[in-house]
Amino acid sequence: MRAFVRRLTFACILLPAMLAAALAAAPDVRVKMPNFGSLAEKASDSVNITLDSALLSIAAGFLDSSKPEDAAAKELIAGLKGIYVKSYTFDKDYAYPSADVDMLKKQLSAPLWQRLVGVRSRKEQANVDIYMAIDQGSANGLVIIASEPRQFTIVNIVGSIDLQKLHRLEGKFGIPRLQLEEKK
Amino acid sequence: MSNNLDDQLRSALRAVDPGDEFAARVMARIANESMRPRRSMPAGYQWLSAALVAAVVFGALIAHDRQVRREQQGLEARRQLIEALRVTGEKLDLAYRVVNDEAHAATRENPGA
Repeated sequence: MRAFVRRLTFACILLPAMLAAALAAAPDVRVKMPNFGSLAEKASDSVNITLDSALLSIAAGFLDSSKPEDAAAKELIAGLKGIYVKSYTFDKDYAYPSADVDMLKKQLSAPLWQRLVGVRSRKEQANVDIYMAIDQGSANGLVIIASEPRQFTIVNIVGSIDLQKLHRLEGKFGIPRLQLEEKK
Repeated sequence: MSNNLDDQLRSALRAVDPGDEFAARVMARIANESMRPRRSMPAGYQWLSAALVAAVVFGALIAHDRQVRREQQGLEARRQLIEALRVTGEKLDLAYRVVNDEAHAATRENPGA
């Protein structure tokens, strides 16, 4: 009887406490996006997407699993907790507020965040930085900062993202054909 | 012959006084009808049934409205998700192109490297 009570106490008190502690210890990989108010004012087109876990699950409910592209998207977002996108398009070349970008980059520091790609193109005049949050050996977040002469984009994906799964979505929903190499 | 028929008709259609009893019977019947209890629902129950019908209709309208909103929210979330995936794919593609271009440029500049 005492053993049963002990087990019950463990199940009722200790397990939720351990779960709460584990959740509290999980690193927050959602970055604080700058407001970019001045960019939005001058942009000819702006995209501001905020999809938290609740909205992602609602969106998943409206994806038709019988359609290949919907099924692939559903599989991709299965492990995600949020997708946040800010993208601004301009009619003419525009200088982006570097202070805001620097503030954003400061959040993406080691050891949690690692810069996978940092490229500057002279040909396309584009800068792209891709950061990935690695926690206990698994990728838990992704940030893409892309600045082109007439477009500035920040993407923050929270949760485990599989780039190969995103690769499988290429050509669907207007997603460009990514030329990532398939894992052998 | 015709005179006989006329007499018979006249006799059959002659005015007959119903008498005082007839009027009394009619008045008694009217009084009796008004005294009989009505078969219809009491006023309280009528209000209750009306309120129930109104509540059911109102509830159905609210449920329908909620369903429409949920559907709109779901479709909007789906649209945003697809847009987000499109933008993400586009930027990953840009990164790939830039990395490739720079690698090719480096190879051209240092062919022996």
